[in-house]
Amino acid sequence: MDYPADLRYSKEHEWVRVEGNRATIGVTDFAQDALGDVVFVQLPDTGLEVIAGASCAEVESTKSVSEIYAPVSGEVVATNAALDATPELVNTAPYTDGWIFTVELTSAEEVDGLMDAATYQAFVNAQ
Amino acid sequence: MSVDWILLDELDRPRSADGQMAADVAMLEAVLAGGPPMLRLYRWQPAALSIGRYQLLEDVDLERCAAHGIAVTRRPTGGRALLHGGDLTYAVAMRVPDGIDGVLASYAHIAGGLIAGLAQLGVQADVAHRAGDRGVACFASHEGADLAIDGRKLCGSAQVQRGGALLQHGAVLLARTPVNETDLLHYNDEGQRAREAHRLNAATVTMEELGASTDPRAVADAVIQGFAVALTAAFRPGRLDDALDLTAVSSEGHRSTVASA
Repeated sequence: MDYPADLRYSKEHEWVRVEGNRATIGVTDFAQDALGDVVFVQLPDTGLEVIAGASCAEVESTKSVSEIYAPVSGEVVATNAALDATPELVNTAPYTDGWIFTVELTSAEEVDGLMDAATYQAFVNAQ
Repeated sequence: MSVDWILLDELDRPRSADGQMAADVAMLEAVLAGGPPMLRLYRWQPAALSIGRYQLLEDVDLERCAAHGIAVTRRPTGGRALLHGGDLTYAVAMRVPDGIDGVLASYAHIAGGLIAGLAQLGVQADVAHRAGDRGVACFASHEGADLAIDGRKLCGSAQVQRGGALLQHGAVLLARTPVNETDLLHYNDEGQRAREAHRLNAATVTMEELGASTDPRAVADAVIQGFAVALTAAFRPGRLDDALDLTAVSSEGHRSTVASA
């Protein structure tokens, strides 16, 4: 399992990369492994206001549909259109090309409430 | 230690195709509201075609479905098209158990009940290994969601997970249907349709072809027993009322809402 040190993590196994007032979000290595082969990603619409902890996207893997939760609140300003044709990027590159969406943060302090890499790794190991 | 489950025995309860899916979603919502795990058993009368939550409707030949009097409904779960009518369908709604990490592990957990049930009818099924291209017909490919006998799929299942709970439903093939599933889907040409029909037939097996019981009542009872054994489920009967407001019959004989049970 990979836990990049520059990211923050949610208990629902999403990662957040903060750049300025924007946060890019995807699912963690642990999550993609638990999902299995991803065959479809339902991306959120740009302009959607997402609320931390609320469902905002879905993935299908092994005939199972699972929700993706927003780890932080904000307006969706970009989505990863490459996932339409190559949803398997979620499996092969969960922290890079497999990103799912970017939000303009409503409340930057919400990021402080997320786990750092070491804390998330301990959280996963305790599962 | 046994676990309290609600049993929704709806073998003789007709519902529309959309109604069947609404009933399954109502089960998931009842569990999300705090209700106990539940198992529903049902049949599709008349026959109907279900497609996966994100499957393109263009895969389906709606004119052919209409000509055969077959309704089309969309499942809340993943996967591909499946023609119901010759199957016994089960639906399970439950919290994802502690220690079950991942989609395949949750399928395997529920498979334990199905495998134990089928074993009571002399059918030794196993969790399928992944095989086959992902075509438009569900049963043409195998995944860890499915149960197979010697590599031929007997039971195909699909899932949705939401808020720490899951809904899984699936079809145990009892006998072939008069209409072939591939008659209802779009293909590039009739040659491809014929090849897919052959592939689907070769990739699947029915209880009838196994020489096992095709009686829905007998198979349903076996599945109930299988869940009792493998998942230590202690069932009490419940029902979905017409408004799909889930209620359960308590051991004292009066109803209480599942959500507050």
